[in-house]
Amino acid sequence: MSEGIMAVVKPEMKSYIWLQTVDGSIQQVEEEVAMFCPMIYREVIQTGMGSSKNYAILLPQRVNPSILGSILDYCRFHQVQGRSNKERKTFDEKFIRMDTKRLCELTSAADSLQLKPLVDLTSCALARIIEGKTPEEIRETFHLPDDLTEEEKLEPLRNISDDPRIRLLNRLYARKRKELKEREKLKNAEVEEDRVDERSVDDLLSFINSRDGDAKGVKTSKGKKKNRRRKDQKDSSSTKDDETIQKELDTSPSTKRNGEINNILEANPSRSANAQDFSSGSFSPKLEPDDGFMDDDLDPAMKEELDREVEDFARRLNSGWPERMQEILSLGQEKKSISSAIVDNGSSRTCISLNQR
Amino acid sequence: MAYSFPEEVLEHVFSFLHSDRDRNAVSLVCKSWYEIDRWSRRRVFIGNCYAISPRAVIRRFPEVRSIKIKGKPHFADFNLVPDGWGGYVFPWITAMASSYPWLEEIHLKRMVVTNACLELIAKSFKNFRVLVLSTCEGFSTDGLASIAANCRNLRELDLRDSEVDDLSGHWLSHFPDSYTSLVSLNISCLGSEVSFSALERLVSRCPNLRSLSLNRAVPIDRIACLLRQAPQLVELGTGAYNAELRPDVFSSLSGAFSCLKELRSLSGFWDAVPAYIPAVYSVCSGITSLNLSYTTMQNPDLTKLVSQCPNLQQLWVLDYIEDCGLEAVAASCKDLRELRVFPSDPYEEDEFDIALTERGLVSVSEGCTNLQSVLYFCRQMSNAALISIAQNRPNLTRFRLCIIEPRSPDYLTLQPLDAGFGAIVEHCKGLRRLSLSGLLTDRVFEYIGTHAKKLEMLSVAFAGESDLGLHLVLSGCESLRKLEIRDCPFGDKALLANAEKLETMRSLWMSSCSVSFGACKLLCRRMPRLNVEVIDETSEVAESRPESFTVQKLYIYRSVAGPRLDMPDYVLSMGEESPDLIG
Repeated sequence: MSEGIMAVVKPEMKSYIWLQTVDGSIQQVEEEVAMFCPMIYREVIQTGMGSSKNYAILLPQRVNPSILGSILDYCRFHQVQGRSNKERKTFDEKFIRMDTKRLCELTSAADSLQLKPLVDLTSCALARIIEGKTPEEIRETFHLPDDLTEEEKLEPLRNISDDPRIRLLNRLYARKRKELKEREKLKNAEVEEDRVDERSVDDLLSFINSRDGDAKGVKTSKGKKKNRRRKDQKDSSSTKDDETIQKELDTSPSTKRNGEINNILEANPSRSANAQDFSSGSFSPKLEPDDGFMDDDLDPAMKEELDREVEDFARRLNSGWPERMQEILSLGQEKKSISSAIVDNGSSRTCISLNQR
Repeated sequence: MAYSFPEEVLEHVFSFLHSDRDRNAVSLVCKSWYEIDRWSRRRVFIGNCYAISPRAVIRRFPEVRSIKIKGKPHFADFNLVPDGWGGYVFPWITAMASSYPWLEEIHLKRMVVTNACLELIAKSFKNFRVLVLSTCEGFSTDGLASIAANCRNLRELDLRDSEVDDLSGHWLSHFPDSYTSLVSLNISCLGSEVSFSALERLVSRCPNLRSLSLNRAVPIDRIACLLRQAPQLVELGTGAYNAELRPDVFSSLSGAFSCLKELRSLSGFWDAVPAYIPAVYSVCSGITSLNLSYTTMQNPDLTKLVSQCPNLQQLWVLDYIEDCGLEAVAASCKDLRELRVFPSDPYEEDEFDIALTERGLVSVSEGCTNLQSVLYFCRQMSNAALISIAQNRPNLTRFRLCIIEPRSPDYLTLQPLDAGFGAIVEHCKGLRRLSLSGLLTDRVFEYIGTHAKKLEMLSVAFAGESDLGLHLVLSGCESLRKLEIRDCPFGDKALLANAEKLETMRSLWMSSCSVSFGACKLLCRRMPRLNVEVIDETSEVAESRPESFTVQKLYIYRSVAGPRLDMPDYVLSMGEESPDLIG
């Protein structure tokens, strides 16, 4: 109907504002509802647009028809004068219940229409979603890239720690203790199965708490020989994984980080020498066996980076993580060129394959 | 999603995040969020002034308006940190003076603040509003005069527990007559008399004054006229609350108090005379916070006062309250959230027999369902009581128990208190802060390492049997940020086995333990981002100390600023060769 006919036939009928969204669709909205949006209000007052279909007000790009519907629902409710604060609050609480993606779109759209109360409402709701989450969780919720360099991440003012390394360590300690207990109980159990599990845990532990000094001849020669044999075997089987993993590493952020690693690598030799001095001392027998493993010389920056990658891979590759971890960690150690670690519990377990020094 | 979100909108979302934790998390999400957080961060908290250089903070957060910095380790409160240790705020002030001209707030804790700092603050920040100096030292009332004279927009001046060289009370008169914006003033730590007329004029011309904590030198007969000038007060700390009882003074005081309709917090009451206490009864029904830790008042007057406050949420009191008083608290103060009971006579100089035992705490834990935070000094404790408390109040977030005599066992069974504290950590899953005392073996640390997953700060004294204890805590407590230990048989092994854990924490303090010099050096070499500082006040020269030498005091903290340059000669940094990684 044309505006003129409407005016003659039903003078008391509402007047409408015509709005056009970015996809081209045009709709009419009750005037008092539409005018609740400052942006629309300004357009109508200053330019006279919106009075008919041909002169529909072009809404900002961030406002699609579905979101517009929500916004108009909001306006329709709040533009009514008589409502109590309690009513408005109740409406808002119900209104805000939607999935995160839609909430983001709504915030963005409300901002472009300069509808401040709705911007505040949605922003606050988004803040509540963010509250209490770790950076990884936030990234997942909002589908954001993980593109910070390690240097930036390690920068200070992280007064809390949510260190995956420590969690990993605890998990491994618990697992190791459990398995030591089991091994004691079931000495005659099927060797192969146990070996697979224990080997991976041992290796993980030995990586994280690698006993230094193989190269300096502290360890028994017996263990050394066996390990060398195992080392060769390991190499051939793991090259494939090296490649795929290397690719993924290359495509992930910042070559700067790798540069940093190189610098730190050069500094390694002196540190390992010092660690060697200490390794001649020993831990008190009071502590549990695995507590006897000493920390190696890994630079914390690299460790952090490595462990983060480890977790990512573990998630992505989605396999039984102990074995996968072992492979990844062994690759990681190759990258870092650290002396080989040997599990010293009198068994013929393998060690993590480490070539260079 | 990120690409369709304009920066201003994201910045607006961030403005609804109030905790540092959340802002920090947000800054680590991705590059764009990092940048947005950087530029929009207005409030920064530096938990350890040596963890980062001022330049680095300024470089990263160019638009800061409010900064909070902490200096000395917590055990400095117990005189374990010698004078001259450090914690100087001057480098921060000079750096901020040139880079943060719009700085509004400075909050400092356990730092050395000189008059030069205060003068620089007064001159450099045109819109300066809030100065909070908590347990600080190094300045005199001259410095305060500069602040008073120059900070036209000052809202808050809070000197809580600081040590001030109190030259005279004249500094208060330096507030110009045109100055009217005072909202909060805490001078309770000052010794000398401030000019009372200046104080009165100040109070009368500041209509927004909400919090006023006077010092002891303000006599009781002057309070009434002050209160009449400021009926809008929300917090009041009286001065000395004693005098010979005079009916006119009493009724004046009583009348003045009854006009304080907004009053929620009361403190002060030095040397309180019971006869004058009823003057405050009219405000008791609204009181939510009561600090009677300077009051030597005893029962029954003390209990009578506290039981008049049904809406009490926070109570700080001396052990004069006794078990019977706490039972009354449990019955009348149903909304109590925080209880601190301090010892009136910790060194047992008097022959007084104070009837405060574990029973008082147990009653409060039974009667006050909102109780979250406890600091309790007493002379006896039992496992049964602790278990009871744990079961009654699983919502505890802070539990600090100080049994005055070190290594006191369960007084009923003579057993260690492992089981009791074990129950605390097992039931109170949200526990963030814990102080241990009494006779404790390694077992208690096993409980703590197993259950206390949210624990952030742990204080240990005269406890444990071996390195295993320390190891269990360091390896088990995932959220641990601060650990302070004194007089425990913990040595090198646990420390070195958990070297990396230390970098996830803010700091570790160990004094009178069994850590060797060699281990400190090794730790430092292994962890370049840890500052390992040995405090040794014996006269031996550093180089002559053998590796096996047991260090007296050890303070380890993570830092990206490298070893600090302002150490006194009795503090040795183990990291002379450490590179300065950032900044």
